[in-house]
Amino acid sequence: MRNKQNEVRQVMVCCGTGCQASGSKQVLEAFITQLQSLEGVEAVASTKATGCNGWCEQGPLVKILPDDITYCLVKVKDVPVIIEKTILGHGIVERLLYRDPISKNRVQSHHQLDFYRKQKKVALRNIGEIDPASIADYMARDGYQAFKKAITMSAQEIVDEIINSGLRGRGGGGYPTGLKWKSCLQQEEKQRYIICNGDEGDPGAFMDRSIMEGDPHTVIEGMLICAMALGASKGYIYVRDEYDLAVKNLTRAIQDAREHSLLGDKIMGREFSFHIELVRGGGAFVCGEETALLASIEGNVGEPWDKYYFPSEKGLWGYPTVINNVETWANIPVIIGQGAQDFAQIGTENSKGTKVFSLVGKVINTGLVEVPMGTTLREIIFEIGGGIINGRKFKAVQTGGPSGGCIPAELLDLKLDFDSLHEAGSMMGSGGLIVMDERTCMVEVARYYLNFLAGESCGKCVPCREGIRHMLEILTRICEGRGRTGDLELLEELAETVQEASLCGLGKTAPNPVLSTIRYFRAEYLDHIENRFCPAGICRNLTRFSIDPEKCTGCGLCKKNCPANCISGERKEVHTIDPQGCIKCGSCIDTCKFNAVLVQQEVGL
Amino acid sequence: MIIIIDNQEVQVSYGDTILDAAQRAKIHIPTLCHHQAFAGQGRCRLCLVEVTEQGRKRIVASCTYPITREITVCTSTPRIEKMRKNLVMFLYKQAPASKLLQSMYRDYECQDNSLPENAGEKCMLCNLCVLACEEMGSSAISLIMRGTEKKVATPYNEASLDCLGCGACAAICPTQAIELTERDGYRTIWNKEFKLVNCQNCGQPYATQEQLAYIESRGPDNEMLHCCLSCRQKMTAQKIKIFT
Repeated sequence: MRNKQNEVRQVMVCCGTGCQASGSKQVLEAFITQLQSLEGVEAVASTKATGCNGWCEQGPLVKILPDDITYCLVKVKDVPVIIEKTILGHGIVERLLYRDPISKNRVQSHHQLDFYRKQKKVALRNIGEIDPASIADYMARDGYQAFKKAITMSAQEIVDEIINSGLRGRGGGGYPTGLKWKSCLQQEEKQRYIICNGDEGDPGAFMDRSIMEGDPHTVIEGMLICAMALGASKGYIYVRDEYDLAVKNLTRAIQDAREHSLLGDKIMGREFSFHIELVRGGGAFVCGEETALLASIEGNVGEPWDKYYFPSEKGLWGYPTVINNVETWANIPVIIGQGAQDFAQIGTENSKGTKVFSLVGKVINTGLVEVPMGTTLREIIFEIGGGIINGRKFKAVQTGGPSGGCIPAELLDLKLDFDSLHEAGSMMGSGGLIVMDERTCMVEVARYYLNFLAGESCGKCVPCREGIRHMLEILTRICEGRGRTGDLELLEELAETVQEASLCGLGKTAPNPVLSTIRYFRAEYLDHIENRFCPAGICRNLTRFSIDPEKCTGCGLCKKNCPANCISGERKEVHTIDPQGCIKCGSCIDTCKFNAVLVQQEVGL
Repeated sequence: MIIIIDNQEVQVSYGDTILDAAQRAKIHIPTLCHHQAFAGQGRCRLCLVEVTEQGRKRIVASCTYPITREITVCTSTPRIEKMRKNLVMFLYKQAPASKLLQSMYRDYECQDNSLPENAGEKCMLCNLCVLACEEMGSSAISLIMRGTEKKVATPYNEASLDCLGCGACAAICPTQAIELTERDGYRTIWNKEFKLVNCQNCGQPYATQEQLAYIESRGPDNEMLHCCLSCRQKMTAQKIKIFT
């Protein structure tokens, strides 16, 4: 057995966007400079910057291998201690380990946490394990081996392999990737384009960003395999403009791949050339829609067109084009490398493989989670996510981004895949999961998303531009206490036209937040319209807070936190809220530990 | 290839749009953003029809849907009429000052509802003016912004260097939303004033200097360029008389 004590320590500092924002760059520099001053450092330790580990809440994260130690919330001042105790002394700095909030025990490695243990990493397999700026790191983990294998396969074999894997597009549509490739392969036109859609725009979603930042070569390898199968010589990666680090890491990766003869002319000495160009997004959500994205690459306004021809038939500049999402591309090397059969064993009957979700909202562990298709919402939210913050009750989870839908507690055992989500009135989308607790007003949620979509509709077609505007108007008045009898029916009628008549996916799915909340939370809408009451206590015009004298212990916490200074009461005596001064911010109800703050109907409406 | 539109057999070529085929067969499909000079845009969605293809029904925009196989088309179903009614209502609320939309709002028997109107607005954002300007070779105007902020404008709403004052945009506009005024030998459009040139024949102002200079720069001399439209018609008629 090898003696771990004598092995070179690898210090892996997470430099994803989240950790960088918490100062991980400084931690990395501190490790580099302080380790350099050690004598014979090469034999002791090496330092590496990795991509996002998905556990941003505890960042900056520092992992030490081969000991498999994960330190959380590391600061520059902790660096000397870690070097002394762990790297030189082979011990553990207890206080930097994660403390399990339930058992109160310190956890040595992130691998022991439920958050990681229940995940299955396929698309995210390398992230956090490699330095994204190092092609050698990628190659050390079988990088570009799938491409080398693909060289020995015929175009048809490659396409068949993708079809057999059952892989469906991870960008939202869920169209079988292999069929897309096949359709492109069948076109007579030989000029073809390969595109990676990295214009991730859903609020709260960051899976594509993580992959582009943390493992850029996997995207390049996926595209390369497709380009070789289809004989395409040019590819584009369309990256959301705000993703600076992704642009930087991808640029570096493209450069390195070119130097290794994996991109450029005569790749590996063969009669095959493939060039990848990076395009920065035009700054519009709708440019994530593939036809709008193509228009944007062509230099036109990002407006979609009717998809009666698919891009695989007539795409960029009218030529056959395969356009796939970042996460889809990240799966390609795995499918080719390990075989379609292995891949198809993961997941459900019609949705194969894994899906990366960005788990956010009122859940204890937020971050990126990758799970097999068919995992239930309950497993993701309660086992991986650790449940709801502050012990509150789960109310709904919003899936699929702004034009997804809200799924209620009754459906927590829903096995997540493309079809089950669609049947539940929502969608997979790019994989956003926003968890909401009982302090969430579903009408307000619908209004919030419609407001986002109204701002992001390109305005080309009438039903999307005008329909969303009018639905937003109705939702706004319901939230403000001006709802009218018949508003629900009007909303449903407009939603139907917007859904069916709109030109692109944005408009066709825009009514989802409205329709799904009406479907599962109709009573809450009626409370707003007929009783002028917001049961969650969110819509200010419809809410009045008061304190239950039976439950109030007079702890004074609400009084201390009230920004309007309108709570009065002596210590250990029942407190009262002055309705005149109350701004209905809800900080009292959020801080009260005894459930003593009541939500009531606003009087005088 | 033969397809069926409203129970009628229609001869079509591969790639024709349903709207083209229907118009040739004199089958009416309502449109607002379509003009025969341009390819279909799919903006107003009024031309939605129901297509049955291999037993599968779907709603498509007939102005952009290319016919590539044998299909059956139904241009009016209760579902489509309901959608058209809502679309007309949307368009009317967007541009209630347009006479065209006012009359369509009546014809479709849209019921007044509580939704707000853009008082005084005439433009329904059909983009035909932009296409016309592009076709003229100027591209002086375009759609700017997005969503409900979208509008037709010159860059930064300033007098455009490229605008010739030709008025093609105003001429094609179905809702007379583009303001064009002529006074004392000057034409004003898109925040820019143009000096008008008088017809050599009758002396009436008929075109802008920029427009004529642009035409001259594009092609060989045309003796009739310096005459107004009605004089040209008279002169042509004269010529035909001589020949016959």
